[in-house]
Amino acid sequence: MTHADVALGLILTGLSAYLLFGGADFGAGLWHLVSRRRRDQEVIEHAMGPLWEANHVWLIFVVVMTWTAFPPVFADVMSAHWVPLSLAVLGIVARGSTFVFAKADPDQRWYPWLFGVSSVLTPYCLGSVATVVATGGSSWLSAAGTYGGVLTTALCAYLAAVYLIWDARRLGDTTASLRFRGYALISGAAVGLLALPGAAALGVRSPLILLSAASGALSLALLIRRAYLSVRVTAGLAVASVLWGAADMAGLDLDAAAAHPAALDVVFVALGAGALILVPSLAWLYVLFQRGPGRPAGTAADTGR
Amino acid sequence: MSTVALLTGALDGGGAASPADFMAARQQMAFTLGFHIVFASIGIGLPALTLLAEWRSLRTGDPVYAELARRWMKAAGVLFAVGAVSGTVLSFEMGTLWPGFMDTYGQVFGAAFALEGIAFFIEAIFMGVYLYGWDRLTPRAHFIVGVPIVVAGLMSATFVLTVNSWMNQPRGFKLVDGEVTDVDPLAAMFNPATPVQAAHLILASLMVCGFLVASVYAVGLLRDRRAGRDDRYNRLGFAIPFSLGAVCAPLQVLVGDFAVRFVADSQPAKFAAMEGIEHTRAGQPFKFAVFEIPNALSLMLRYDAHATLRGMDSVPAGERPPAEVVRVAFELMIVLGVLLLALAAWWGLAWYLRRRRAARAGLPWHPWFLRAAALSGAAAVIAMEAGWTVTEVGRQPWIVYGVMRTEEAVSPEPGLRFGLYVVLVVYAFLAFATVSVLRRMRHEYEPAVPDAPAPEPSPEKTGAAS
Repeated sequence: MTHADVALGLILTGLSAYLLFGGADFGAGLWHLVSRRRRDQEVIEHAMGPLWEANHVWLIFVVVMTWTAFPPVFADVMSAHWVPLSLAVLGIVARGSTFVFAKADPDQRWYPWLFGVSSVLTPYCLGSVATVVATGGSSWLSAAGTYGGVLTTALCAYLAAVYLIWDARRLGDTTASLRFRGYALISGAAVGLLALPGAAALGVRSPLILLSAASGALSLALLIRRAYLSVRVTAGLAVASVLWGAADMAGLDLDAAAAHPAALDVVFVALGAGALILVPSLAWLYVLFQRGPGRPAGTAADTGR
Repeated sequence: MSTVALLTGALDGGGAASPADFMAARQQMAFTLGFHIVFASIGIGLPALTLLAEWRSLRTGDPVYAELARRWMKAAGVLFAVGAVSGTVLSFEMGTLWPGFMDTYGQVFGAAFALEGIAFFIEAIFMGVYLYGWDRLTPRAHFIVGVPIVVAGLMSATFVLTVNSWMNQPRGFKLVDGEVTDVDPLAAMFNPATPVQAAHLILASLMVCGFLVASVYAVGLLRDRRAGRDDRYNRLGFAIPFSLGAVCAPLQVLVGDFAVRFVADSQPAKFAAMEGIEHTRAGQPFKFAVFEIPNALSLMLRYDAHATLRGMDSVPAGERPPAEVVRVAFELMIVLGVLLLALAAWWGLAWYLRRRRAARAGLPWHPWFLRAAALSGAAAVIAMEAGWTVTEVGRQPWIVYGVMRTEEAVSPEPGLRFGLYVVLVVYAFLAFATVSVLRRMRHEYEPAVPDAPAPEPSPEKTGAAS
């Protein structure tokens, strides 16, 4: 395994984590916009509150790893797609700031609205750029770019709905939990119908498609059987395998673009040492807020006092 | 890989940025960075202040400290989020605006950013636990969870600063036919400018945060005076952050002096611009605004009144920074720094006298002191932005000093200026919303002290009402 392989593996791991955690936060923003029910919105705010900033750091990780390990690729992709990427990062600004503003100033009605809209804009732009890069296309406005944007946004929405079922239940809100289950079933079916023909049209010939389809179908079955924790795993697998399939299709040969091994050695050592702190901390963060004393329904919006 | 096409396009001359787009890219970078460093500074200092108040609260059980810790924590939550997202903008701009820079040198300083990423990750994780874990952790555990936020914040600032120092003092690579070889990321990180630049900016950020928070409470104290109130909450809310700023101010003068000497040795063009030296000569006068003291600059810098100092004319015409901007920014920073030092000295003297007399009444609550202190936050922010201008504009026309010119780094994509316009609009809204949210948070917590002058309340009871 060359340094380039390890670096690419790390970047894909980071992207997968960003999609599975950060992506779900964007999807939650979409449901926050779509569902006008205050109870649903409270579940979303409660679930995202302590986690979204840590989830966001995966993106920074991917960006930094890309420019360190494959500088020409980073320079090329970022400058060629500067318009959608600038929109995405402004969406990140709007999403993050309006999320905390809305909590601190609940009377201002346009914060939640902006939060929802930017939560849709950001994954759309990032997904369209990723698809254009993977398919070797030119513009995010092309058919492939549009398709990739819509698909990514839908994947995020699906993941969020799946995760939120359990979050709502944890907060003791059975009706909200059932509504999120409904959202998950609808968006899951929609994503499946969107992803499979798309993969065929783009000429993806990868066993990962089968993995994605199988775990997607299994997720639907688990949703119907109300296995809300195991469906998180299978839904995550279904979504992540779409990303890996896209990376597979891109067939990136990055050896020529790779940084000098000496530059990467330091990064790998730093990440290895950092992981010793980060992995337990992250695990603690998730466990603390998944297993901690769930607040009784109705006071969810007050957390963080 | 269309990198080749991109590069050949640039070589053909067909893909170079227009002057308007080039300026727009520089302005966008300067503006977004200038915006971010204010929030990054608060992101370093405010958790430290919060922990200080929380520690006092744990030790004394005093509800005023607990209330201060709770409010600062909430404000830190909002400001940290704005800092985090505005920092993300910068990492994107590295590629969307400066692909030439990243293409060639991304790998040289990438390790520093990887370390910064780890530190930021730790910050974000523990910030989540700290903000939302209040009722899930024991008070002691909650306090301990706050410590990594402060440590990681300082580390993350240092790692970022190593990269900016590297742009001033590039090390850790060799250039062979325009290609980077022999990359040594550690040599790049530990370049000679790192210690002084990191110390200078970390002190600046603590001063910004300390004086800015103190400003808010100085206004509250002035209001208390007019209403004839004596509110312990406002007094402590002022004293803790102002003391932080006051302690850093004299240290900053020492580090700043060292920084000037370092620049004089390592970047003569920047130094000539800062001091307004046009011609190389022995016995340089010290010029400040309209004043001029013969031989004083040579004496101050080299302890020799007849030492020769290089002027702008020693630098080729194409390698000179815009001297006027740099000089004005430098003088502004010095003036504001001295004023802040004077204010800090007033505070220190009052504190000392108060201890001697063991009396509470004394100089620090003088209305003129409070008025000046109410402006100290703005002064510290302006001083930091001015200092940042000195180091960034003073490095021009280089993006990597002596190695790569800024116009070689800029993106050849057309229309960058429209990106600047959009960014300006979005950030204007962001700044407005942040201020209005903070004002509302302050309003919400206005201590429930009666408007009528309380009959000589004892310090222990006032301000704790909320």
